[in-house]
Amino acid sequence: MRKIILVLLTIITSLQLVPGQGLYSPGQPKDDGRFAASTKQVNQFFRRFNAEESVDGSKRFYEGDPLFRDRQLRSQFLSILFDNQTSSVSNDLKSEFAKEVLAQGLPQYLNFHKEGWFSEVNAIFNYKGKQENVTLFLKLQPEGLGYEWVIDKVNFAPFKDIFNKPEGNDKGFLHPLSHELGFMNLRRAFQDSNTPEAYTAKEYEPDYLTIFLYEMKKGSLKFETIKNVKFHFFQINNWYFELNQFNRPGNNTGWLISNLVRLKPGDKNAILKYIYDQK
Amino acid sequence: MTKYIPLFLIVFLATATLSIAQSDNISPARKQAIDSLALEKVKDLSKYISIIGSKETQFSEANRVMDRAEELFAPDAEMGVSSINRTEIAYYKVRRYFERLMALNYDRVNISWYDIHYISDLERQPDGRYVGVVTVYQRFEGTSLESGLNYKDTTKKDITIYVEKKQTQIAGRTIEFWDVMLGDIRVTETAA
Repeated sequence: MRKIILVLLTIITSLQLVPGQGLYSPGQPKDDGRFAASTKQVNQFFRRFNAEESVDGSKRFYEGDPLFRDRQLRSQFLSILFDNQTSSVSNDLKSEFAKEVLAQGLPQYLNFHKEGWFSEVNAIFNYKGKQENVTLFLKLQPEGLGYEWVIDKVNFAPFKDIFNKPEGNDKGFLHPLSHELGFMNLRRAFQDSNTPEAYTAKEYEPDYLTIFLYEMKKGSLKFETIKNVKFHFFQINNWYFELNQFNRPGNNTGWLISNLVRLKPGDKNAILKYIYDQK
Repeated sequence: MTKYIPLFLIVFLATATLSIAQSDNISPARKQAIDSLALEKVKDLSKYISIIGSKETQFSEANRVMDRAEELFAPDAEMGVSSINRTEIAYYKVRRYFERLMALNYDRVNISWYDIHYISDLERQPDGRYVGVVTVYQRFEGTSLESGLNYKDTTKKDITIYVEKKQTQIAGRTIEFWDVMLGDIRVTETAA
């Protein structure tokens, strides 16, 4: 009997070491609805946008489920997927967007695996002993048995300053009969000029990603940390939107649409240029 | 008849490829079972974190629990921590993160977990393993008796889970099962 009491006491004592503090233990704090309302993951943004989960997010809907991509549920979700506190997207524009996304005959959905969305990552690197901001553009691509995020482009101010192709009278050139002299005047391009890019073809664009990787391999560029992540979406016909993470009090938090633009012909390329060129 | 043989072969091969591809797919029912397994691991981690952080836990016991907690993780897993005032991520190896938690300079520490979680879809990686993210929220309260200061915060923890089909031999028979390991964790202080 003593032994049983001793064992029981030992169990009770060890239980008291952490009084009900694990996940789903008695006495845990209750969410007042803010975390439930928050779009907690980009994955949840996709599911809510497409109405592929229950209102509280606890049940994933699959094809065949009665509420899978339900129009009314989608409409409810769409209304909470916008940043309503700091962004200047008008209610009219939101309504037009919702109308097209929820169109009875041809509703539009987001697709995680398809092209038309990518990530913009603001990171800090150490470049030759100095902290520098770097913007990386990542996209999802099929690879092996699944998918992977890959670096598609990079934007780095010190590189942009290096390449500055002169124009007009300032631009050096190799005259059209240079070939007759065996291009001896290349000396002007490579030795006498500090803008050798002046001697490149019209369509020449510096490949910053290659230089970026080269500098990293050389050891002059070292990763430090990530500052911010956002996403750009072009998957909905004739629309562009930006997805940002909002960490603030209240119910309008998490991954939300912060910028919405109706695209006219040619606008997509202009926006892409704006995003990649970093203004 | 012979002219149909290539057609049969094509149909047969196409069906065979499909069934191979589908054999590793995760059905909704299987996903639910994996979610439960993942949540069990996250529950274990949450319990271990509470024990390690508690000032009532003996040093030797905390070390033992840290060993247990480390076993939940895939090798090289890291914690990436940011706060409201500092959005840059600070990186810690899992063990280092636990050690810092244990060494926090408070007389009383209470770590508890909100009654909410979110589990992402499972996505397949190039190596065939599946990856998902479980989100949970933690409340931290630290009290310093001498200064009377009371520090509180709520952090969102986005926990990577790796899901892999494994095999084991039981009584000469090969049994397949799905195993879950924890990976990198992103810790964000919430403004809530």
